[in-house]
Amino acid sequence: MSETASNTNIRTLIHDARGPLNRISMNAELVKMVIENDLPKEKAVLALEKIIVACQDCSEKLQDISNLQKDS
Amino acid sequence: MLNVLLVDDDAEFTDVACHIIEFLGHEVSVAGNLKEANQWLEHQSFDHILLDFMLPDGSGLHLIDDLKKSGKDAYITLITGHPSVKGMLSGLCGPKINYLVKPLQREDIETVLNRKSQKRATPNTSLHSESLHFGCLIGESPQMLALYQMIERVANTQANVMLMGESGVGKEVVAQAIHSASKATGPLVTTNCGAMSKELIGSELFGHEKGAFTGAVGKKDGVFVRAENGTLFLDEVTEMPIDMQPNLLRVLESKRVTRVGGTKEIDVNCRVVSATNRSVEELAEDKILREDVYFRLAVFPINIPALRERKEDIPLLAQAFLAELNQENGTSLELKEEHLAKLAEYEWPGNVRELRHAIHRAFIMSDPKTSDLALPSDFQSPFGQSSKSHATNIAAGQTIEDVEKELIRATLEQVNDNKTAAAEMLGISTKTLYNRLHAYGDFEE
Repeated sequence: MSETASNTNIRTLIHDARGPLNRISMNAELVKMVIENDLPKEKAVLALEKIIVACQDCSEKLQDISNLQKDS
Repeated sequence: MLNVLLVDDDAEFTDVACHIIEFLGHEVSVAGNLKEANQWLEHQSFDHILLDFMLPDGSGLHLIDDLKKSGKDAYITLITGHPSVKGMLSGLCGPKINYLVKPLQREDIETVLNRKSQKRATPNTSLHSESLHFGCLIGESPQMLALYQMIERVANTQANVMLMGESGVGKEVVAQAIHSASKATGPLVTTNCGAMSKELIGSELFGHEKGAFTGAVGKKDGVFVRAENGTLFLDEVTEMPIDMQPNLLRVLESKRVTRVGGTKEIDVNCRVVSATNRSVEELAEDKILREDVYFRLAVFPINIPALRERKEDIPLLAQAFLAELNQENGTSLELKEEHLAKLAEYEWPGNVRELRHAIHRAFIMSDPKTSDLALPSDFQSPFGQSSKSHATNIAAGQTIEDVEKELIRATLEQVNDNKTAAAEMLGISTKTLYNRLHAYGDFEE
């Protein structure tokens, strides 16, 4: 793979990794909001489950970046 | 309450963002692509659109175009996952368009939605509001972004803040930002502890009763009372006489003041933001601030970076200052690339204040009929680093004061402006050195 194509792919993967990071950040904000305002804890539990899924998603995307770097 | 349209193809993100936006008291509708967004816009008007930059059926910029063509009026916040396109987006930004970079936080959304109401309140602001953080701070450098985060965090608390930084970095502006970002309902009251006489400082801070001292013709409220439910900014707090500091401590601890000459205690409720241009080391070594007062005031200390540490902000600041002058005077002077490069080369020892003055000086020197700003070839000031190369220059006939001033200048040069080391070399206390510098006036501020 040419260096330029590899860089483009890495940039795309980094961009994709921001998706789950964004979900983690917003769901963490939601948990904070629930705790601070004494809202139903089910909302917080659901948000925490989403954070766990997003962490795994993010980890896979980071692995993709790592694999691409090895290949290039 | 605002009517918000959230356009993003990440359904999990829009789901959680909706919860947060609704919690902030706004109504929100969701579109997963441009087509859906256009459908919403056909039937409904929105106050604010949060718009993902990259959508499955095109760029968010297409929607901005469509809005412009249809003549619909809404504030737009572009959301991007590419920090690298920030520069491009900031170029697109106008009075009604700004941007956020993922990952987002609740404060980000809160700030852009709140900013809209601030814009409505001040439609004639001379600087582009989207370039102003908290309505008053300019800069996109990492140091400033970290500062904005600290301001946001502390603004949500009632903690007292101590602002530290060199002269001219904008401590009062940061105090204003903390006040604006807070939920305070009262005013921001500013007082300069270095400008008050020792006799009147108690009256200024705590107020006085009628007849408390000669000239006290009426009852007066002190700044603590005037800042009720708001923010009290104590500038140059380290200039407060040490024997007055126990009185300040008492108020900070008890949240009660007694007017000079009075007996009744008055409850006070305000956040105290204090400022000093002394370093923590100087505070400790020179004993200019009591330790107990320091810990009450500096619950959350914030260091404001010097301008030379965030040179990437110099063009933004310079452009903003010039835009302000152009607006005030109906001119259209411009800063060219070479001007910006020249401004970025200089060290700006007097920080943002010195930069503002340099732009103002250049503005005065320029021909208002042209667009060329007449920047001087040299920005040297008494604060300039390059003055370090000057040799000690003492001649017969000079006054003792001039010689002393020259000696202090040369010593400070020798020790890279380290006041403590200079005082040691000169055989005087650091406090005395500061007193001399203040007396000369041209060394400080």
